[in-house]
Amino acid sequence: MLELKNIGVNFSGRDILKEISITFQPGEIIGLVAPNGTGKSTLMNVIMNYLRPNSGKVVFNNGLEYSSKKNEVKIHQLVSMMPDQSDLYNHLSGRQHLKIYSSMWNSNPELIDSTIKALGMESYVNKKTGTYSLGMRQRLCFAMQIVSDTQIMLMDEVMNGLDPTQVEIISQMLVKKKAEGKTIIIASHLLENLEKYADRIFFVKNGSLDLIEDIYSDLGVNGNMVIRVKEGTEQLKEKLAKAFPELSIQLLASGVTLIDFPKNEADRLESISAFLSDNDKPEFSVGKMTLGDLYSKYYH
Amino acid sequence: MRAYFKFEFIQFMFNKKNIAVYVILLFFACFYALKIAPAYDPIEKVDREEIEARFLTREDFLNNVVLDENTYPLTRFAAAIYPEWNEYDKQRLDALAAGDMKKYAEATFNWYVYSDNMIFRNGKDILYYNSRYYTAGNLYATEDGHYAYMYSASRFDGYAKGDSNLSINVFEERTALQTLQRLLHSYLPLILLISCILFAADIVLKDKKNPSLIKGFPISVWRSLLVKGGVALTGSILTVIPLAVGFVIIAIRNGIGDLNLPVPVFSYKTKAFTTISMGEYLFQNALLILFWFFMLISLLLLVSIIVKNEFANLVAGCVVVFAEYYYYVRGLGYVKDIHWYPSSYVQVGQIIAGYREYLNNSVALTLKNGLLVMAVCTVICLLLTFIISNHRRYKLL
Repeated sequence: MLELKNIGVNFSGRDILKEISITFQPGEIIGLVAPNGTGKSTLMNVIMNYLRPNSGKVVFNNGLEYSSKKNEVKIHQLVSMMPDQSDLYNHLSGRQHLKIYSSMWNSNPELIDSTIKALGMESYVNKKTGTYSLGMRQRLCFAMQIVSDTQIMLMDEVMNGLDPTQVEIISQMLVKKKAEGKTIIIASHLLENLEKYADRIFFVKNGSLDLIEDIYSDLGVNGNMVIRVKEGTEQLKEKLAKAFPELSIQLLASGVTLIDFPKNEADRLESISAFLSDNDKPEFSVGKMTLGDLYSKYYH
Repeated sequence: MRAYFKFEFIQFMFNKKNIAVYVILLFFACFYALKIAPAYDPIEKVDREEIEARFLTREDFLNNVVLDENTYPLTRFAAAIYPEWNEYDKQRLDALAAGDMKKYAEATFNWYVYSDNMIFRNGKDILYYNSRYYTAGNLYATEDGHYAYMYSASRFDGYAKGDSNLSINVFEERTALQTLQRLLHSYLPLILLISCILFAADIVLKDKKNPSLIKGFPISVWRSLLVKGGVALTGSILTVIPLAVGFVIIAIRNGIGDLNLPVPVFSYKTKAFTTISMGEYLFQNALLILFWFFMLISLLLLVSIIVKNEFANLVAGCVVVFAEYYYYVRGLGYVKDIHWYPSSYVQVGQIIAGYREYLNNSVALTLKNGLLVMAVCTVICLLLTFIISNHRRYKLL
């Protein structure tokens, strides 16, 4: 169990984290989603005690806190953070890295080989990491944390540099770890992937953690349908807003125009469709509002 | 702790700078053994021709000198002292001719005792030590000669009374163990201490290159510093491996020597030499060097966690090791409490042999005081490191 109590972090007068209070339970995967520089990594650094919060405290199993150096060691037996791939020792092999982590946390040595096999690292794990590609390094970092076998695992951008197959393999492994009762906190930008296995997903904005279910409700978009128009323009957005003033219309940075409307107003689809055809935009798609759509709306 | 030690040790052995230090030491050891050691030309050597020339000249003088009331006082003095002196030289020549090393050692002991007595006590400004002591600018040539003769007398006395196998190489201190003894008396301690500084300078701060990998380890800063210190100490001790190559080369060429060979040790208190065994001498050197390692490593750990700069570590280490060059003046110990400065014990071999007592006219520059000073400095450094690293707000990385 991991509990954050009124965590506040302030850099140069700017609130990065504001009075965050939340509890994470064993066997739970938590997703943290936010644009860069909004406090995801800061939160993880606070959990690891790499960064001392201006207010509040982090409480682990049985009331264990970062109140002394002795306690910090005890807590670091329970919680680990995935290393950054740029910090690997280039002159050591992947297996040596795994052995180091296994021995430091005194975990079951058999985990090394089983993890190597599960992640398909057999062909290169005995080579020096200096020869690895970004994806191989990322997989090794993930494997190192798995091998440490801590109760709580923090992963910042774990899927960076991985191909879709690897993303899938790691996702499956996360689900397996969750089943073993681990608490896993993941910061990721792969929203659809996160949606597959995360029990709770939080958006981080203005120093707060906002649960996506609450955001759906707050924005009044719970169960909404979305029309995505490719190659949208500012003019199209203005025209749509004029023609359908009651709808929420958004032009994303990717050039996609997003129109959302309540599910029970499906009859509107016909008029919107006709409008788009008239405006020379016959290509669009209709579907349920995804996490990506919500992200775009929330951080717009 | 064990796992962390292994982790740190692997990094230590893969560190390019550390590998370079070992390679340089290996090169130095080989170069010394193959080039410098064979060219060693001791002042107090076994030189049959020199002994014979001196003996014959004096013999001729004694055979032809006429002593009467008109004889010049110095001639009278020479005629008085040469017979016994020549007797010892004759015994040395006879022993060499017979190949009797024991007898040569006995005669040479007597020769040195008599020579020193004549030159230092009775013949100042008339008689001289070996001319090689009188080099340009050496204001202490007589004192150097006096020390060397007393040292040699003690050494040959030890050879005569001991059970070691004697040879010309032993008399000229060319065997591997004696070469090591000579090196400990000169630059070897400095080389070992500088190696230790180089090993310890980055042992803490290297982690700045891999912070996310290390920061979360379940080990406290204090314990990790202790392990790092242990690794630096192990690495410093391992310098004996490349140096041992040179030792083996010299041993093959000149013999290994004997751990029971006598090593003269001067005491300023008694103004005389006694001998200890080579084994004891080496052990005492190793002990003081080990305490030096403790002190330097604990100092560098402390500087590492305060200043967090490798260059600062090098400067701090070098200041301690080389500080003696800034204040050392021969005889200074007589007027100043230099025995409280760790840097006064850099010349480890000279401390053990009592040479520093002789140079500084001090009874305090002893192994015991050296160990005490090093231990006190180590404890202070470690105590400060403990307090700082255990402070709740302290972050190493």
